[in-house]
Amino acid sequence: MIWIGNVLVSPGEAGVYGERTLDGYRVWDPYRSKLAALYALGGGIDLEPWMRVLYLGAANGTTVSHVADYVETVYAVEFAPRPMQDLLEVARRRKRIVPIMADASRPEEYAPFMEAVDLIYQDVAQPDQVEIAKRNLVFLKPGGRFILMLKTRSVDVRRDPAGVLEETLALLERHLEVVEARWLEPYHHDHAAIVCTRA
Amino acid sequence: MLQRYWFGDLDEDGCCRAAGTDPAVLAERASGLRADMESYTPINWEVARDCGVVGTREEYIALLRSVCMIIARHKIARSYQERDVALLQMVRMLDELDNVINLLSERAAEWYQVTDPSFSRKYRSLPAKKMLEMIRRGADGGLAAVAGEIERLTEVRRRLMREVSAMADLVMPNVSALIGGLVAARLLSRAGGLAELARMPGSTIQVLGSEQALFSHLRGGSPPPKHGIIFQHRRVHNAPKEVRGRVARVLAAKLAIAARIDYYRGELVPSFIEGAQARIDEAGARA
Repeated sequence: MIWIGNVLVSPGEAGVYGERTLDGYRVWDPYRSKLAALYALGGGIDLEPWMRVLYLGAANGTTVSHVADYVETVYAVEFAPRPMQDLLEVARRRKRIVPIMADASRPEEYAPFMEAVDLIYQDVAQPDQVEIAKRNLVFLKPGGRFILMLKTRSVDVRRDPAGVLEETLALLERHLEVVEARWLEPYHHDHAAIVCTRA
Repeated sequence: MLQRYWFGDLDEDGCCRAAGTDPAVLAERASGLRADMESYTPINWEVARDCGVVGTREEYIALLRSVCMIIARHKIARSYQERDVALLQMVRMLDELDNVINLLSERAAEWYQVTDPSFSRKYRSLPAKKMLEMIRRGADGGLAAVAGEIERLTEVRRRLMREVSAMADLVMPNVSALIGGLVAARLLSRAGGLAELARMPGSTIQVLGSEQALFSHLRGGSPPPKHGIIFQHRRVHNAPKEVRGRVARVLAAKLAIAARIDYYRGELVPSFIEGAQARIDEAGARA
């Protein structure tokens, strides 16, 4: 990862969403991006130039654009038409992004396009986040990494976020080895990042 | 097991049948593919190379990207073709116009008050329409011009309202028959689409639009909301207080059924409407 002082940046063509630049690099704001927050807090998996990544819940492509600055290929899956329009525009100018319009909980729809990846990053605001993760494990190489951004409020607004995290971890551990779990305070509230490895 | 990928098929002996190199043709074919996840193995891009579809990794990704983009554009276009999407935007614009018109009228009245010491809205019912006319005539300069524009905006709003109503009758005939086109359209807007509304239980439809009250109830303490948007229907807001909750509940339950008929069948079912109306009236009759 590239840091200028304590500012996380990524190399690449600027002006995707009005991000600031620093010495010709694009500033990757931890308040806007959960993945940036994870790195800012000292966690996460370093993105390497050889990596192939599956990004579930790509949304408008802001975080995707930064990931694409670091890695070899990003398969960006997004379901909603409006954000997909933006994602297509981002992908048009970033040759490493493969934009896929599909539902992350139905991998059979995009499996015909997928190769095995080194990292899966999942950021979907859905109640059944572990189930979605499980269904996508087929794309992860053995030894590959999985980063799950858990929006506890999407699982159940009424429940205590810590309880939701605990339950999610217990469910995840049936399929993956959990390496790290941390809250994204002060950047994002009630969001936790879970980093796992596939055995 | 035969594996079907975007660039072609691969049988169990590793024999590959390429589907061509034209992105449009590939997209057409690939958009219908569904993998059998039991036997699925991810693509090895070299297979596409050995298959003769591409020469290098760069070409592989480039071709895959153009295929995926074509498919995505088709899917986006298809999702916008649904008629309820247009209605959704119309009703949201209508609500926004309401906000803007109210805001501007209030501001114009405040302004007019300081130009005319004898003007007051107290002790007489002064409908916004009359007031604006008065301001337009009485004031001069910018204020008169603003009042004129607000009047014009009100006219635009009226026309849009009729359009919304007519469109709602087309898109959701049964829901509109029960609750009126405008309120039907508002329910649709809240739900986010006809498919979404059709999948909602009556109890959710009953409180659509009163989310604040609902969540404060769920957190504990406050009483549950009896009605949200459906309160705008005369049957609910004209009902005596004691039975209003009941009317809202019955109406919402019937709306849930009506939404499903609209979504899955798409035509008016008079026998259903008749029965539903009778049941709602019955709920409204004092016990």
